[in-house]
Amino acid sequence: MAQVSAGVDPARSAVFAPLSDIGRAEIVERRLQDAITSGVLHDGERLPSESQLGRRFGVAVVTAREALEALRDAGLIETRRGRDGGSFVTFDSDTARRFTDERIRALSRVELRDASMHYSAIAGMAAELAADRAGEDDVQGLRELEEQEDLATAGGARRAVARFQLEVAALSQSPRLVREELRLQAEIGTLIWLGLREEDNRIRSRAARQAELDAIGAADTEAARAIAVRRIAGGVEWLLDEKSRLEAAAETDTASRA
Amino acid sequence: MTGTVAEHDARIAEQIEGTFAPLFALVEGWRTAVQEEFSAFAVQGVAPTAAALDPRMEALARPALEAPGGLVTGAGFVATPGVLLDAPWHLAWWLREIHGLDRGDRGGVRRLEAVNDPDSDQFRDYRQLEWWKVPERTGERHVTGPYVDYLCTDDYTVTVTTPATHDGRMVGVVGIDVHVSRLERVVLPILREVAGTGTVVNGSGRIVASSDSHRVTGTLLRGADVQSALTALRDGAERGEGAEGTRALRCGDSSFLLLLQS
Repeated sequence: MAQVSAGVDPARSAVFAPLSDIGRAEIVERRLQDAITSGVLHDGERLPSESQLGRRFGVAVVTAREALEALRDAGLIETRRGRDGGSFVTFDSDTARRFTDERIRALSRVELRDASMHYSAIAGMAAELAADRAGEDDVQGLRELEEQEDLATAGGARRAVARFQLEVAALSQSPRLVREELRLQAEIGTLIWLGLREEDNRIRSRAARQAELDAIGAADTEAARAIAVRRIAGGVEWLLDEKSRLEAAAETDTASRA
Repeated sequence: MTGTVAEHDARIAEQIEGTFAPLFALVEGWRTAVQEEFSAFAVQGVAPTAAALDPRMEALARPALEAPGGLVTGAGFVATPGVLLDAPWHLAWWLREIHGLDRGDRGGVRRLEAVNDPDSDQFRDYRQLEWWKVPERTGERHVTGPYVDYLCTDDYTVTVTTPATHDGRMVGVVGIDVHVSRLERVVLPILREVAGTGTVVNGSGRIVASSDSHRVTGTLLRGADVQSALTALRDGAERGEGAEGTRALRCGDSSFLLLLQS
């Protein structure tokens, strides 16, 4: 039986749905943690100050401070005092890997697939509209951008994908799709594109982006959408395989200790 | 209707141009003011600084951004890298605070928080963006968009920029942003005067506003008839005409084009 029919008016429920202002420090912490462990923020990079972070995330300074403290305790940043002081990223690949592995294991498959569907809906529609609305100059500009990307590292490849997603969303001419793309990138982008730490995936990812650009350039709306959706599905399938592998490894570990 | 069809068409195009004329005048005034500031620095023998320039630019921008219901939603000065002593990369840009679905005034102005550190991931070299690149190349005023301005407000925007120079060298651009939602409110009443369908497009044929509500803002106006009318204009003709009767006119020097179809 559908939930909707059980005497619940979904429109009314949405009006009074709680606003998410709980756990804001955790959200800030998670964002920065993802950026550090995926290499988007570099080792040694100085983070914005507490008050700058507060402004950028739209949270109170104490909330930003709380998030930084948690990252410091986790060994992902260090704080130096004095004139050239501040919080600096300390990227230690073992720690980063451990964090990422834990994050993948903590996510349920259901959650991951749901996030993937949501992202596909947004990115797929953006690609479809972009194919209808992009001019020749726009497509040429994107091709040039692609050529400049540094795909030698996971962080570089991740930035290339993030930029591509954003530019395609902008070509849809829809501010709402752009905002949603940015929000989803911040929320789940790091996970979905985690497979880019393997070189094979970086090469495949680039080829798929080029195919999507070709479709956009040819005003082939259906192909553009299909490729965008397939790129996201590819990322999620890799993540699910990685999750299974990590879980199997953990089980073997426990079994051998018993 | 009085006069010929051509005269009526020209009047509509003039009215569209008239919508932009005050905005262009504003930007031109700021260009002069910024150039005078740079001359004053030179006369006093001091290096130009953001600290000295910003309050001056803010005083110019605020009245336009505070005018209730005004068209201007963003305004400021962006410096050529290395020109200012105290800020290698510098955006002095202010934004009208916008509210809710109807994108109405919230009654405030805030400064744009720009990332000026080239080592940061969020840093974007603004010299690669159209509103910088084109005036830099041509030395003339340029209208960018409509486009989604994701660096600034995430809104659907038209940006007007013009180069400010000192000693024959570009020291930056001054400019304004106008949200397309606001532009539409001013342009639609003019287009409703058209017998038939009136559509304003940018130089690439992208729709800004149309009297036909089924023509979607942001899409490219397609069709062979439209294309041949637009091509005639691009080739320098005063009026473009398609075989099936589409008429195309320039809206003065606003860079926008008016397409009329019966």
